[in-house]
Amino acid sequence: MSVVQQKNKETDPLIRDLGHDDHFHAHHHGDKYQTNFLTTYIFSQDHKMIARQYLITGIVWAIVGALMSLVFRIQLAYPDADVSWLKPFLGKWITLGTGGVGRLDPEFYYALVTMHGTILVFFVLTAGLSGTFSNLLIPMQIGARDMASPFLNMLSYWFFFLSSLVMMYSLFVSTGPFSGGWTAYPPLSALPQASSGSGAGLTLWLVSLVLFVVSILLGGLNYITTVLNLRTQGMTMWRLPLTVWAFLVTAIIALLSFPVLASGFFLLIFDRSLGTSFYLSDIFINGQALDRIGGSPILFQHLFWFLGHPEVYIIILPAMGIVSEVMSVHARKPIFGYRAMVYSMLSIGFLSFIVWAHHMFMSGVNPFLSNFFVIFTLIIAVPSAVKVFNWLTTLYGGNLRLNTQMLFCIGFVSMFISGGLTGIFLGNSTIDIQQHDTYFVVAHFHVVMGVAAFFGMFAGVYNWFPKLFGRFMNDSLGKIHFWLTIIGAYAVFGPMHYIGLGGVPRRYYRFDNFDAFRDFDDLNQFITIAAIVTFFAQLLFVVNFFWSIWKGRKLTEKNPYGSNSLEWTTPVKTIHGNWPDKLPVVQRWAYDYGKDGKEFIQQHKPMAEGEEDSSH
Amino acid sequence: MAHINYEAAKRVAYRGFVILGVVTIVEVFIALLGKGYIVEGFHLSRPVMYLAMICLSLYKAYYIIFEFMHMRYELPGLVRSVLLPTILLIWVIIAFFYEGDTWFHWRKSVQEIPAEMQLARPAGNAGLIPVQSADSTEAQEAVPADSSRPAGQVQPGHTH
Amino acid sequence: MMTTDQTQQTPVSNWEGGREPFKASYGKLMMWYFLLSDAFTFAGFLISYGALRFSSPTWPVPDFVFSSLPGGIHHKPLIFVTFMTFVLIVSSVTMVRAVQEGHRYNKKGVALWMTLTIVGGLIFLACQAWEWSTLMGKEHMTIHVNPFGTHIESGTYLDGDGHDVQKGDQFTAGKSYLIHKHGDEWAPLRYQTESGEIKQQQFGPKAFGALFFFITGFHGFHVFSGVVFLSIILVNVLSGIYANRKNHYEMVEKIGLYWHFVDLVWVFVFLVFYLL
Ligand code: HEM
Ligand SMILES: [Cu+2]
Repeated sequence: MSVVQQKNKETDPLIRDLGHDDHFHAHHHGDKYQTNFLTTYIFSQDHKMIARQYLITGIVWAIVGALMSLVFRIQLAYPDADVSWLKPFLGKWITLGTGGVGRLDPEFYYALVTMHGTILVFFVLTAGLSGTFSNLLIPMQIGARDMASPFLNMLSYWFFFLSSLVMMYSLFVSTGPFSGGWTAYPPLSALPQASSGSGAGLTLWLVSLVLFVVSILLGGLNYITTVLNLRTQGMTMWRLPLTVWAFLVTAIIALLSFPVLASGFFLLIFDRSLGTSFYLSDIFINGQALDRIGGSPILFQHLFWFLGHPEVYIIILPAMGIVSEVMSVHARKPIFGYRAMVYSMLSIGFLSFIVWAHHMFMSGVNPFLSNFFVIFTLIIAVPSAVKVFNWLTTLYGGNLRLNTQMLFCIGFVSMFISGGLTGIFLGNSTIDIQQHDTYFVVAHFHVVMGVAAFFGMFAGVYNWFPKLFGRFMNDSLGKIHFWLTIIGAYAVFGPMHYIGLGGVPRRYYRFDNFDAFRDFDDLNQFITIAAIVTFFAQLLFVVNFFWSIWKGRKLTEKNPYGSNSLEWTTPVKTIHGNWPDKLPVVQRWAYDYGKDGKEFIQQHKPMAEGEEDSSH
Repeated sequence: MAHINYEAAKRVAYRGFVILGVVTIVEVFIALLGKGYIVEGFHLSRPVMYLAMICLSLYKAYYIIFEFMHMRYELPGLVRSVLLPTILLIWVIIAFFYEGDTWFHWRKSVQEIPAEMQLARPAGNAGLIPVQSADSTEAQEAVPADSSRPAGQVQPGHTH
Repeated sequence: MMTTDQTQQTPVSNWEGGREPFKASYGKLMMWYFLLSDAFTFAGFLISYGALRFSSPTWPVPDFVFSSLPGGIHHKPLIFVTFMTFVLIVSSVTMVRAVQEGHRYNKKGVALWMTLTIVGGLIFLACQAWEWSTLMGKEHMTIHVNPFGTHIESGTYLDGDGHDVQKGDQFTAGKSYLIHKHGDEWAPLRYQTESGEIKQQQFGPKAFGALFFFITGFHGFHVFSGVVFLSIILVNVLSGIYANRKNHYEMVEKIGLYWHFVDLVWVFVFLVFYLL
């Protein structure tokens, strides 16, 4: 028997003596869910396998989305360059002019920007991030055998997969993918004849996203009920790791906001296919007044952003949870202000529902109403700042292990501060009037959401890779990846703030026919080069990831980081049902680091005589 | 339904039928009375009528949730976790309706489109409808980003 | 053992872990939270309806629009839809009874009351089908055209429409009218306002028809899926599989929640479309 197999057989003595016997394995002889290749790897109902499926699908999408961004960045920096070398990949979307000079088709430029946004926001940072880690960590960290309903959990992934397929297919239709921006504002989106991407491309886009909403709801229902009902004995809410809290709040937000997006989409589908006018009024095409009156395009914006703003927190909260947990473990300190962290997440969750119109200050929202949205928006800075201070104080005086995941946590905090500050600018409608739809906004949300959420995801992947694949990722390569990424990200998005303040608008195909923007040519080229370098730095991660799945350093002990939470009491080689016999019983919260002279005390270790419960 | 015995439970069900039925009839009665169908020439003021009907409907909703769906017998935590989120809708309702009212005022400032314009391209100033002058080729399509397409291929490089 | 000792010392709350904090199974919780999210879908529709209605200068008066009964009877405002509401209420009551029989493990009772519930659902759908086909076929209201308009000023008709309006009839502001079709032609009536201008009836806000068909359709779709689920569960009840389950007839309870929710939504659909 190898070492690993032996370790697997051994039951943690504490679980053996103090654990709770739920007779799980008596009911599940062998493994009724994992009997053959199909049920193990494809239609798996095991939360860990579903987590892997989400992660790998997410990585594939991330690569696709990132490649798209390179193409349009090249267009922006070198509008006159010959891109005929892209012809083999993009086909008819590269038009050949005189002398064989290839140009990116303008329509396709917009399609690339649109798809980049959609893919990254929904498929990578929502499904890939929350889907992966909620699935992996919720059952393991609360001491459950699996999700409440493994079957719905499987469906959730497969709806996501189906949605992915439809979206992927839409990239290849002859009229091109949807090109009206990831927010799909009407009238561009409501009139199939408005642009070529608004035809079949948008129909598929909508179908895909409706499937996506179904997937999110199935997943979210599972996450919420699992956290509520399946916590093991002793796992009170105040003993949950912050990751689980974050996933719970995320799922609640998703459950309440995605349905409203679905409402908006259904009305849009009607406008497109059946000729209703929910979003259309007083509109001309080719000088022809359309018989579409009585609706309002702003209605769609309201419905969209009622999801759209909570959506950005759906993306960032899981990253926040991961960062809190990983940071505490590798700083060897309890997280500072555990309850403040929870309350700030809850209040962020609440506030995220009442600020949506700050995306619409320039759309013609009633200015009086805008005032309220300004005030509510600026209040979000309070809980956000609480979280930032708590991370900084957790780091302060800690015994930091500067491994890759810790570096990414610190990078996350840095990015979140930078992007949060620009958010406060934009939240003031008076300033936003200048900044709206410029590269300042693009920089804001890429820093605070795009990069920060990716950092949280990287921290999570580096940290829990051993639980996912039984091996470690290479730490040295990881560190190189981190430094290239953080420098690259600031190099890309820092100058964008400046360009945006200069008034350069987003979603323009080229700037060189505007005298005012010619000054920024050099900066645009700099940004593009930085983006290309940063992209190649990500390949280090991809290589590291797949190489480590098969060749990484093996995990040989249960708790390699000296971590408190329950996932590190499961066998080295994970099994269906997570624990070989009894379930651990929880005796304390997840953050007893450096307490009473001990470096860490795992959650299932009983209180010592006279010890104080730190979670109170 | 361990909480009350079977006979009592049955009574709750049938009482529910009576209550919901009566409330519905009252609502319809108010609607008809208020609009002068029942007593010739008698009208209720709109706000009073609407308020009454909204309150009655909320009562019906309350009854369905608490009796038919057994919310009354659930723990307070469950009740709160299901009902509190709906508070979010209050702000949504205020904001959306306020906006609707704003659009109403805007619409008034949009002129009727004369019949002859419905076929021809609108020339000159067609109210607030943002269409460029007739000789512009830019507005041919409804693609707003059109203006960013290089119109005459201005070459970069020639300096400021 | 130590844990049991400890749990005996401190009073145990439902939140200690290892138990259901709301004393409700995960399945029931899932149903509740699903309904909550579905409520937000409907809220999205109904609030959009409100916003568009606020933005329209006029809106057809419901008791003028919804005043037909089967058998060619007209001018009986809201009677038919009140009947539809009753059908839903009754089917909710029968559902309550089915759940109660489930608590007594009375298979026959469950099956009987569920069957009645399904019948109620089908009657409701049939009524809706009739209502829709009358509106579309007889009154020519579609998602594109809304022939129901409302006068914004008082005046006198200059023609009759061969139905209710005679030449010389007087009307006041706020009164609704229906534009009829003669053959394939719309025939809006001319009238003279009090100030002496001659005008023609205008079509009502398009959004009215589209919203009506869309939202009642979405609700009807919920009723329809409810009927399908009820039927599947009825078959399961009859096959006896719930009798052997650990949680017995909980499935009946869950579909019951869904069914009451459909009734609940109707309360609001009824309010905004037919009453206000
Ligand atoms: C103090 C906190 C924040 C404030 C006050 C704030 C404010 C704003 C405002 C006013 C806008 C609209 C700008 C415009 O279009 O003119 C905006 C855009 C955006 N924000 Fe934030 N923000 C904050 C934090 C965040 C966070 C934490 C995220 C994501 C995790 C985020 C993601 C976004 C995104 C994605 C957009 C742009 C969407 C688009 O137009 O495509 N923001 N923010
Ligand atoms: Cu926002």
